[in-house]
Amino acid sequence: MQELSRERTPMKKNSTVNIVFLAPCVLTFIMIIIIPFFFGLYYSVTDWNGVSDDVAFVGLKNFRGLVSSPDFIYSFLITIAYTLINIVFINIVSFILSLIVTSKIRRRNFYRSGFFVPYLIGGIVLGYIWQFILNNILVKIGTTYSIAFLQTSFLSKPNTVIWTMAVVNTWQYAGYIMLIFVAAIQGIPSSLMEAANVDGASYFHRVMHILIPMMANAFTISIFLTLTTSFKQFDMNMTLTNGGPATRFMDAPVKASQLLAMNIFNTATANRMAEAQAKAVVLFIALLIVSLIQVSVNKKKEVEM
Amino acid sequence: MRKKLLNMVAISLMLVLAAGTVFGAGTKEAAKETTVNMFQLKVEIKDAIDGYAAAYSAATPGVTVKVETLGGGADYGGALKAKAQAGQMPDIFVIEGRGGYDIWKDYIADLGDQSWVADTDLAFKVDGKVYGFPVAIEGYGLAYNADILAKAGIDPAKLTTRAAYEQAFKTLEARKAELGITAPVSMAASVAGGMWWVAAQHNLATYWGGGLDFNDTSIIEMALQGKLDDARFLQYAKYLQLLFKYADQKILLNGSYDDQVGAFAQGKTAFLHQGNWVDPNLKQLGVTFPIGYAPHAFLDTEQKGLYLFAPSWYCVNAKSPNAEAAKAFLAAMASTAEGHDYMVNKAGMIPAFKSVTLKPAGQLSQALMAANAKGGNYGVFFGMLPDGAGQNVFGPIFDLFAQNQNNLNQFIADMKKAVADLPKM
Repeated sequence: MQELSRERTPMKKNSTVNIVFLAPCVLTFIMIIIIPFFFGLYYSVTDWNGVSDDVAFVGLKNFRGLVSSPDFIYSFLITIAYTLINIVFINIVSFILSLIVTSKIRRRNFYRSGFFVPYLIGGIVLGYIWQFILNNILVKIGTTYSIAFLQTSFLSKPNTVIWTMAVVNTWQYAGYIMLIFVAAIQGIPSSLMEAANVDGASYFHRVMHILIPMMANAFTISIFLTLTTSFKQFDMNMTLTNGGPATRFMDAPVKASQLLAMNIFNTATANRMAEAQAKAVVLFIALLIVSLIQVSVNKKKEVEM
Repeated sequence: MRKKLLNMVAISLMLVLAAGTVFGAGTKEAAKETTVNMFQLKVEIKDAIDGYAAAYSAATPGVTVKVETLGGGADYGGALKAKAQAGQMPDIFVIEGRGGYDIWKDYIADLGDQSWVADTDLAFKVDGKVYGFPVAIEGYGLAYNADILAKAGIDPAKLTTRAAYEQAFKTLEARKAELGITAPVSMAASVAGGMWWVAAQHNLATYWGGGLDFNDTSIIEMALQGKLDDARFLQYAKYLQLLFKYADQKILLNGSYDDQVGAFAQGKTAFLHQGNWVDPNLKQLGVTFPIGYAPHAFLDTEQKGLYLFAPSWYCVNAKSPNAEAAKAFLAAMASTAEGHDYMVNKAGMIPAFKSVTLKPAGQLSQALMAANAKGGNYGVFFGMLPDGAGQNVFGPIFDLFAQNQNNLNQFIADMKKAVADLPKM
């Protein structure tokens, strides 16, 4: 044994160590991501109910059913709408926040951590907190001061409920995206901004023509993150609205705020595992296509320093 | 290089697998005495059943009963599936109806030879064979606050038709301020509050079983074929509309379980649409006023019965080597004094066994037990519906009707369409 190790070159030794250290991660990754992923693909073309041993192949039946089911189409569309609203809200708000905390404002470090704190609250807890605020506190204020539009909860209006969810999500997520923007802004050489200032460019011009182009790569990341997290939104959806209230779509009552992930969850808990799996595959493909397009479009706009 | 990596991966995989089999085998052989694993979903009886299992284990040499509890909104079905996949299927588990039976039938033992079968009407049966031990009797009507009704001059014994209810609700509505209530009824129907089951499961069950013989499933069989009884459903829809119209609107459209029960407990409503499971909640909220149950009388003709059912059943894992010990544990629960004491006094349940003479403490449970003794009650059959029908299909329909209470025809049309799709689910 000892002789063997003496013969080894340092390079070889290194690679063994690498493998030993990597193996647990690779193994876990294969076991809990790769294998279940392919199992999932397989189950989406069967009639599996989650328990039964006799699994029959049904081809694309599960997928064909989705095309004609109003609740799934609605969930799909509402998820896209929610994602678009979120991308706009979160990026604008966090960009403004990042400008504020990188300016010469006093206590900017305090604000920086303050804006970030909501991100540290779990989505479940946060959903319940905001549910209480929206259902109880705002309604109480509305009835006490006779403000008509506050008297019914924003969560019980089918038309505003996803906007409300987007606002809550922005409140949570903006601080995190802000940190990415702050890092990008700090990476821009201050000489550029100063030179523009000397040349007489206004603050607005400096932001639009120097700051934003120079931090385009940060936008690529932040839009990608907001897009994928909004598309996969579940925890806050579950606790804040639980999918409610109901609304009418394609002449069928559906849940107005049931995003795709929650639709999949509700299908799965009704012991319709194969159908839920088919929905999950659709979600995966949609997310893959949309995010690939987004990243390649954004990449083109980035400038090299 | 690549070969080496592959080897490493292969060897570590084998090591993990080998370790798994060695340890897995070890635990099984090491256990000398039988351990019965029970997995149940009633969080409110956790302490009681843990205590009873411990006492049973101490009194029965060679048998240890271990109880694991998961419920209260947690995904019991999902957890049970995970256990089955992991090869840790419990010896005693819970099903909630036909949907659960269909999924787990490979695991469910025939309990027809058990001594308690003759002692109950509510065993879970498929094609005449007994497969489930009824956990308890639960039931509901429209709970009322007797003090408020007395003040308003309403006799609860006369609430046996829809017309009588309409009259009572009108009286209460007119004297709201004087009686100190915000609305006559505390009813919940919202998807958002997670309360779809009150309306789309329990209230709808009055249509499936109300006014019929206790075991008459003709109406729900018809629905499973895709048809509604139009005349009967119209009467039901009118009753539901009445409940919605006179309900506290904030609770109806958005309230949670706590909001709904809390309003009644604080005397802010005269009626509460909930079952006897709220007894512990009412006790916790310090309720002292007398409470009783009025029937859900939705028909034009008189209805006097309450709705009684076993919400869940214990099943014995047929594939387990401990099946006999598990059956003995259930039989002891149904037939011994200790078992009765656990079910009634410790867990606060109404046992589904006729030989039990103890009385539960809760007012609503007592009302149900009295109704059960009197007879003439109605069955609750929503457990026969396909999985997910209540939550994903009927839930949004009832929520939408609660939002647009005047649109009775739309509600009936939506339900007709949904029921027509039931055979395809």
